[in-house]
Amino acid sequence: MRKMSLGIAISALISMPALNTAFAQGGGAMPDSEDIPSSLMTFFVTSEPIGDGGNLGGLAGADAHCQSLAAAVGAGEKTWRAYLSTQARPGQPAVNARDRIGDGPWFHSTARLLDYLQRRLNRPLIKSEIHGDTLDEARRGSNMSKEFALTEHGELVNGIDDPMPARHDLLTGSQPDGRAFTGSEDRTCNNWTSNDEGSVQVGHSDRIGNGNMSWNSSHATTGCSQTELVSWGGVGLFYCFATD
Amino acid sequence: MTNSRILASCVVLCVTAAPMALAQHGLEGGTPMTFFVTSESISDGGNLGGLAGADAHCQALAENVGVSDRTWQAYLSTQDRPGQPAVNARDRIGTGPWYNFEGVMIARDVAHLHGDTIELARMGNNLTKRTGLTDKGQIVPGLNDYKHPQDDVWEYVRTTPYSNRHEILTGSQLDGRAYPPGSDYTCDNWTSNRDPEPGQGQGGMGMGVPLGPDRPNAQIGFPDRNGGGDGSWNSSHGTRGCSNTALSMTHGVGKLYCFAID
Repeated sequence: MRKMSLGIAISALISMPALNTAFAQGGGAMPDSEDIPSSLMTFFVTSEPIGDGGNLGGLAGADAHCQSLAAAVGAGEKTWRAYLSTQARPGQPAVNARDRIGDGPWFHSTARLLDYLQRRLNRPLIKSEIHGDTLDEARRGSNMSKEFALTEHGELVNGIDDPMPARHDLLTGSQPDGRAFTGSEDRTCNNWTSNDEGSVQVGHSDRIGNGNMSWNSSHATTGCSQTELVSWGGVGLFYCFATD
Repeated sequence: MTNSRILASCVVLCVTAAPMALAQHGLEGGTPMTFFVTSESISDGGNLGGLAGADAHCQALAENVGVSDRTWQAYLSTQDRPGQPAVNARDRIGTGPWYNFEGVMIARDVAHLHGDTIELARMGNNLTKRTGLTDKGQIVPGLNDYKHPQDDVWEYVRTTPYSNRHEILTGSQLDGRAYPPGSDYTCDNWTSNRDPEPGQGQGGMGMGVPLGPDRPNAQIGFPDRNGGGDGSWNSSHGTRGCSNTALSMTHGVGKLYCFAID
């Protein structure tokens, strides 16, 4: 595998676009895009839910699900984290989803090195852009879109106007800025342990629904069972980000 | 991609189903249309005949589908010129709320439309590919719809109504206000169909290419919120120039947002 050398090359390219030309002129060793199935992938939507409603086995269970799905497509050497917040409990401080995912930038599963070299790659996800950290960034939005929020297999996630059932409600338990909710009201299915009582904040992977465009904090559900999630337009999918 | 096919076929269906949809739109009790994307373009590049010409175009399209009891204005800014103060698009569109052809609300008010607070901006407004409909109720073809090698060539897009044409002229900054004088963001206040002279540079795609003085350019946004790396509805990036040919190179045909102000 060429993953190590590609990773280094890509890091350099991201930080120093001038190297782009140097790399391209570095001899006849330009790899074919077909040789690099998912080498750039640092972000995906889980292709399948854990399937027990809002009970993900806590953050650890959700992270393990990300890691397992990534490993199944050959991306298991990275460290994967679920984009989920947990709320403060006695003796347990809150955890913010945005603080769990590394620094980015993040590429989706169909990103290819060749595309990057030829400047045909989609703009990656930038941490401050996806959270709208400044007013201009929040207004401009980010490259998070239905076409960007692909599964680890490179597949689109069904959303509004697709064949039912919709799978676009993604569990986050987060506010639009990527931080945990501070009130006593449950927004995390009891910190990802409930498949019955409670409520969970979700975003829309296609950025359509509920009259807003939020990918990470569009609305809350009225329960945490698998059936309840389905009734709202989701199946319990979540976002996974590589931290390295 | 499944989604593209569905949306693309919806474009065709919406076109063919327009008369029926129009009848439904006219039903008593429906929420009247106060927002649309122009179904037809003036088709002289960035020369719209100034703001007056653009407003007249909005008015004519609205009256063509039977909405003649309102005053329509195009969402366009103009830049400061000697003796001509700048005009901000956000100040030209009334107070809202605005509803599309199907009676779906696009935004509650000017602040919601533009995300005037960071909380509003993070949530966004309700302008999406499925709500950003034309005066005839059509979805505006966007990224991934009927991809074709010629879909950035004016002659092709002029004769292929379902190809990508999602770049809407605004000439505006993210907050809906005009750019300061200097570089052109408004095709000379919507009077020019000129392209850059050789050596003036052709970029403006948000990649840091300096616009430079007198380089013809228009700022655009996307109703499908998908393009330019951000998907801003009103201020994503610039164009290669102001001719039909230049607009089509980045998937625009000179469409406008129109709002009823009363």
